[in-house]
Amino acid sequence: MSRRRQSGIESVDWIIFSLYLSLVGVGWCMIYSVGYGDGYPSSRIDFLTQTSVGKQTIFVGLSLVIMLFTLVIDWKFWRTFAYLVYGAAMASLVGVLIIGKNIKGATSWYALPGGFSLQPSEFAKFATCLAIAAFLSTYSTNLRFSRSQFISIGIILFPPALILLQPDAGSALIFFSFFILLFREGMPVFPYIIAFALGSIFILGLSFEPLSVILGLFFIGIFILVLNLKNYKWYGMGISLIWILSSIIAFQNGFVLYTFVANIIAVLGLSILQWRSRLERIAVLVTGGVLIGSTLIFTTNYAFNNFLRPHQQDRINVWLNPEKCDPQGSLYNVLQSKLAIGSGGIQGKGFLEGTMTKLNYVPEQVTDFIFCTVGEEQGFIGSFLVIILFLALLQRLVTVAERQRSAFARQYAYGVAGIIFIHFFINIGMTMSLMPIIGIPLPFISYGGSSLMGFTLMIGVLLKLDANRYAI
Amino acid sequence: MLPNEHGRINVSIQRMSEIYNGRQYIIRIVFMIAALFLIGKTMHLQIFDQSIKDRARTSAIQKKVLYPSRGLIYDRHGELMIYNDPIYDLMVTYNQLDPDMDTSYLCEILDIEKDQFIENIEKNWKSPRYSKAVPFIFQKKIPTETYAKLQESLYEYPGFSIQLRVIRGYPDTIGAHLLGYISEVNRKQIDNNKDIYALGDYIGSTGLEGTYEEYLRGKKGMEYLLKDNLGRVVGPYLEGALDSMAVSGKNLITGIDQELQRYAESLMQNKLGSIVAIEPATGEILAMVSAPTYNPNLLVVNNKRGKIYQEMQSDSLKPLYNRTVLAKYPPGSLFKPIVGLIGMQEEVWNANQGFGCGGSYLNVNHYMGCHQHEHPRNMQVALQHSCNSYFLALFREIIDKEGYHNPREGLDRFNAYLEAFGLGNPLGMDFNGEKHGNLPTSALYDRMYPNGRWRSPTIISVGIGQGEIELTTPQMANLAAILANRGYYFRPHIVKEFENDTTQIDLKYRTPITIPIDPIHYDPIVDGMERVVSMGTAYKAYTPGITVCGKTGTAENPHGKDHSIFYGFAPKEQPQIAIAVYLENAGFGGTFAAPIASLMIEKYIKGEINPNRKYLEQQMMDADLISVP
Repeated sequence: MSRRRQSGIESVDWIIFSLYLSLVGVGWCMIYSVGYGDGYPSSRIDFLTQTSVGKQTIFVGLSLVIMLFTLVIDWKFWRTFAYLVYGAAMASLVGVLIIGKNIKGATSWYALPGGFSLQPSEFAKFATCLAIAAFLSTYSTNLRFSRSQFISIGIILFPPALILLQPDAGSALIFFSFFILLFREGMPVFPYIIAFALGSIFILGLSFEPLSVILGLFFIGIFILVLNLKNYKWYGMGISLIWILSSIIAFQNGFVLYTFVANIIAVLGLSILQWRSRLERIAVLVTGGVLIGSTLIFTTNYAFNNFLRPHQQDRINVWLNPEKCDPQGSLYNVLQSKLAIGSGGIQGKGFLEGTMTKLNYVPEQVTDFIFCTVGEEQGFIGSFLVIILFLALLQRLVTVAERQRSAFARQYAYGVAGIIFIHFFINIGMTMSLMPIIGIPLPFISYGGSSLMGFTLMIGVLLKLDANRYAI
Repeated sequence: MLPNEHGRINVSIQRMSEIYNGRQYIIRIVFMIAALFLIGKTMHLQIFDQSIKDRARTSAIQKKVLYPSRGLIYDRHGELMIYNDPIYDLMVTYNQLDPDMDTSYLCEILDIEKDQFIENIEKNWKSPRYSKAVPFIFQKKIPTETYAKLQESLYEYPGFSIQLRVIRGYPDTIGAHLLGYISEVNRKQIDNNKDIYALGDYIGSTGLEGTYEEYLRGKKGMEYLLKDNLGRVVGPYLEGALDSMAVSGKNLITGIDQELQRYAESLMQNKLGSIVAIEPATGEILAMVSAPTYNPNLLVVNNKRGKIYQEMQSDSLKPLYNRTVLAKYPPGSLFKPIVGLIGMQEEVWNANQGFGCGGSYLNVNHYMGCHQHEHPRNMQVALQHSCNSYFLALFREIIDKEGYHNPREGLDRFNAYLEAFGLGNPLGMDFNGEKHGNLPTSALYDRMYPNGRWRSPTIISVGIGQGEIELTTPQMANLAAILANRGYYFRPHIVKEFENDTTQIDLKYRTPITIPIDPIHYDPIVDGMERVVSMGTAYKAYTPGITVCGKTGTAENPHGKDHSIFYGFAPKEQPQIAIAVYLENAGFGGTFAAPIASLMIEKYIKGEINPNRKYLEQQMMDADLISVP
């Protein structure tokens, strides 16, 4: 392999690098635009130290230095010292709880001189990414065995446990993105399906009347059972459709109890029929699924109403039941955010022309809600392009990951892709209430030194590893 | 790590990555689906969801209508007759309402019940009158004290705003019919002028307010304001590039003499009828009274207005009915000078001609009554005593000029003269709704008497202003102005100029109209009219120091007692005022109409009433001609 041992800057993946630069550029412009309404100081020093975009300019400069630094450092460094970096990051997470600065109720920051502050959780993401990749790439690790599964889950969930103490639930949630990496590396599929089903039941149970969701479960059960009938399948289908329709009508008209009794009898009857036709597995699966599902729906609702604190309930309600929320209260932020994005129309109001994002309509407009400015000023065309830039970056990260010969490099690349994906999807999704409001930045675009430098570090190391992919 | 270990790791990793190679596609698809979700949602928000866009617009940019102040109205001496009064409307924008807000305090301030609150908010959204995104009036005409309280707590109620509007105020209680009132625009008016009127605007309905609406209303302005998240106004939108200023309406300077108008109204209290006074040299109307009148402050836009309006409408005396332009009256003997003029111009009679009057006039086979008076040896004396026989004979001569069997030619010519005198058609005053009166046309008689079975005796009562002839009070006053001017007139008008404005009033009010009658014929008529006042039927109107020329009239009518009528002008040379007074069911013209007219004339020319005539003034003011059946 020595014939293609190029490891210099010339072999850097230019697609990822240019996507990175474009996103950072877009972010800088948007931050500039938000601050534009208040006017900018004429002095260069004031501009750099007093305004968000000025500070962001410094952060971009620092990020480029970091990028250069990662490209210069030997690629082996990261794998060799992966656990050390992880350890240091964990230490910083503990440290921040002791000497950290409290901003908006969370002790997530180290105060730095000059009014700057550093958020260790941003670097913990990178460190965890290195550590999990290092662990998975060792010979003894095999995700088909529970020992490896437990250790990797431990590596992944230790930092969010510390972060939750700050408390910063949003940043903690990000670490679940590593399950994408575990999935790629051979984690069994079944837990994912269970998790997906549980998630759906949770969301459905909270979005709709629990009774209707349970009735829906019954219908699915009946349908599956009828589909597996040996004889009279088509008659059965017709009858079950009529059955479902009449159940809905009866349910709507207040015969709730009768409907449920009838449906329980129907499910049980069909199950017994299947059982006698020697299809025990289906009978058990369906009956069990319906029963467990129904119980879960009731449990989630009970838990939601009794264990969650009101502001936590609000967050979920804003997402799933906006009509129940106070437009001037809990719903306010996301409503204003949607209004700002919607007001952009197809073409947008034009660069620097946004009004809602400049007038404090939208909260956290340079950090978490920066996408509102994209939507308002650049319209659908701009929003579409930003989403496509991210999608291109993600797809390119997968491509780059798959071309690695080293398992460490591949796993590291998947880790990065997962982290960026989850930030991207949740952040943009929450500005449009597709996702609950979780305070995490939009990578490369949101204002903030820790976040930008953290992501730069991730991308930089990945570019270095990729540039040396033939070196192994 | 050892090199061979590297190799082994490589092998194992190769295998692992091959086994789960396919999972990369699942991950790629998950990424794609997530991106598609986001794109779909942006598409929904930015392209398809119109309500979001509307809402975004209305909550970020507030369009504020700037209402122009309505033009003021002054009298001829620059005294204010109408001024503007601010009122406050509470507006609401449905889309911006917070469905959960506690409105009990708001209801308390406004003194309304919860039901009323809901009723005020829930409009018929299917109707094009209302839109959820456009502010509409929640409650109109909020008193100033309530406004002060509201302003303090309005920020707690998103969607509510206060709109300042201007309504009319009157320094005095006079001129209700003349000035007219404003009312809210109706659907039809909005549809006809969409860019001018909007729901809740006021429009001049009657009187000068209605006639001069176009000048008085001004032009609305529009201000675009940027609001921040708390609804605070942060500044003009686009530096005010889209803003337009409100242009105030034009101020009207009328020819009305407020003092005279007030005096006329006090004289007309407890009477039915009307007075119109004109400055003959210009055609400017000095006073215009319809009695009974009402206090214009009663119809000012406020909460009680609707009720008061209904009450006035059901009043049997019809205080809302503007008798000056709407009522058509028989002129009675007022007609005689005109008949005399036409007779002389037609050369069928001359001023020195006498006519034997034995107390009645034999018309074919029945007598038409006259009254006791000296021999009408000429036109002057005939007028002085208002001799019926004299003018009946004169009228027949006009009609029968082409022969007894050809009354049509005579009558048509007669009517042509009347039209020249401004009768039969609306005068074209600057006042909406003016009636045209009636002329005794040959077509009318053809219908009444088919196959040409009418002759001069059939229509003879027209000669003394009875029968088929009807005039409005301004037309009578205008006849007086023509006689005062000896043969020409300016179309009567109320507004003489626009304040601080180069726009002139319509040319038709500045062009004299000449009557096709030789000026020499006026002298005997005017002399006769002087005698009417100095020693004739209107002796009660005699005013020391002023030569009043006039003519009384007493018109028979089917509604009861005769109408008491007078018209005239003064002084005889260089007249300053021409006036017509019409009192319904008040009896003889010399009893009420003539004295009232003379008091008006004296008031206008001298500025005050001679102490010797104070008793007359008191008598006229006290006279109650309504309660007596």
